[in-house]
Amino acid sequence: MAVVLNVEHLQKSYRKKTILKDINFQINDSSIVALIGANGAGKTTLINTILKLTPKDTGKVQFSVDQWKQITGVMMQDNLVLNRINVEEIINLTRSYFQDPLSYENLIRISGLKEVENTFVSQLSGGQKRRLSFALALAGDPKILFLDEPTVGMDSIARNDFWKTVASLKQNGKSIFITSHYLKELENVADHFLILQNKNIAFDGSIEQLRKISGKVLVEFDSKLSCKTFTSFSSIISINQTNHHFQIITNDANELLSKLNPFLKAISNLSVNQSSLDTLLLNYQEKNND
Amino acid sequence: MTNYLYQLKINFKRIILRNKAFFLFDMMLPIAFYMLYTKVLTNGLSPQQLKIWNKDYLISMMIYGCVLGSIITTANTLLNDQTSKFNLFISLKPISKTRYYSSLAVIFVTLNLIASITISLVGIFVNKIDLPLYTIFKIILANTIGTIPLIMIGIMVSLVKRPELVNLLTNLIVFPLAIISGLWWPIDMMPKWLQSFGKTLPTYQLSVIDKALLNQNISNSTAFLNITVWFGLLTLLLLILTKLQENKGIIE
Repeated sequence: MAVVLNVEHLQKSYRKKTILKDINFQINDSSIVALIGANGAGKTTLINTILKLTPKDTGKVQFSVDQWKQITGVMMQDNLVLNRINVEEIINLTRSYFQDPLSYENLIRISGLKEVENTFVSQLSGGQKRRLSFALALAGDPKILFLDEPTVGMDSIARNDFWKTVASLKQNGKSIFITSHYLKELENVADHFLILQNKNIAFDGSIEQLRKISGKVLVEFDSKLSCKTFTSFSSIISINQTNHHFQIITNDANELLSKLNPFLKAISNLSVNQSSLDTLLLNYQEKNND
Repeated sequence: MTNYLYQLKINFKRIILRNKAFFLFDMMLPIAFYMLYTKVLTNGLSPQQLKIWNKDYLISMMIYGCVLGSIITTANTLLNDQTSKFNLFISLKPISKTRYYSSLAVIFVTLNLIASITISLVGIFVNKIDLPLYTIFKIILANTIGTIPLIMIGIMVSLVKRPELVNLLTNLIVFPLAIISGLWWPIDMMPKWLQSFGKTLPTYQLSVIDKALLNQNISNSTAFLNITVWFGLLTLLLLILTKLQENKGIIE
């Protein structure tokens, strides 16, 4: 696998406050890397710094080619709301900036906006603007795509189409660097996760590696028993109680279930699932803050 | 080249053709002033004086139209590109800033050209100004080139980035500039000290060049030199300001 982006010892501060500290990671071709973290963790700042929209303090950001804008496509968090220019014009204008762009027909198909191609960009709905932004990010047929909260404002059909396109881009050798608050969606597509916490990359690996650290299985049930009944179980990684609902994360579901067995009469709605990215992130962050 | 022409075409459409504010302010306002001061408020002028006044005031309003376009439309267009995230969008594309700004500058110059032509047509067809076509052509050309320093002022104003501040600055620059340099009424009606200041401004210098062309005199070389100095100083200032902005980054 070839490295498309290499970030080393990146540091960024704003008004004497450190935002990013000693950030190190790589992005290979044909991969989908998800950057996750709490609100305000610095995800957008990291993307802006990599894309040189804001100056870095120290460190290295290196793309596989010097003319990095020729190989990058970017879908920013904020939509482009340019006045007095229609969908067809903005797509063709964007294409005109690249040496070897994708065809207009291809891009209008990806955006799903053929029926409104003569509508001014400023008159599109929020979801349509996101789809257009995605198509514009692909205009230069980039090797690496940066997607910052790409599905915000999209309806479920558009989201489904969007993730299918992202998966097919990866199949075609593209690299995708993505941030999203819809962790369930990321869980299904990303093959690599970066957790941004306490100003640096606290975790860099696959979801399986994250599960090894944060717990593989989520056991949920309702019970009027006290939380103390379960806290002594050795196999528990974390336990969370909301009213009479319990969420227990464990690496050994069999052992936990055998320990719960004597209490089954006092337990209802028992479910055992693979821990979701949402749970894993929450658990990982709690552990790291301890 | 095809791509550059396409970029020019789109910029022409969004900044001029589909921009109602351009037609309302940059053209209709000077035309309205011109009609008012040559058709209504002309008491006490003999037919001969009125003929001269109609020509002189046409020059003033042609320059005034270019002042509005160069400063207000340029600043607001660039500000709109910032607020709509278009400049951010462009900064991520493999296109040099020089090429992007040059395609905009061509449009802003075209905007002044259109304003000059339209206002001069009002003078010719409504006030029956009698001038050789070649002279009108030279005046329009001088106006279009001579207002380039004003476009630089418009670009500089847009760099403050805040809409309310851009509006304040454009108004603080445009109207005093028009009044002090004698575009609204003759400069010799103002106090001596203000006249001395007004005569240093690029708009006054341009009106001197235009009036020399109007009277078919040899063009005033001092005024030409003065405008060149303004052009040099403003270019330098613009370069410094854009460099400072670049160091801060597109997103602070």
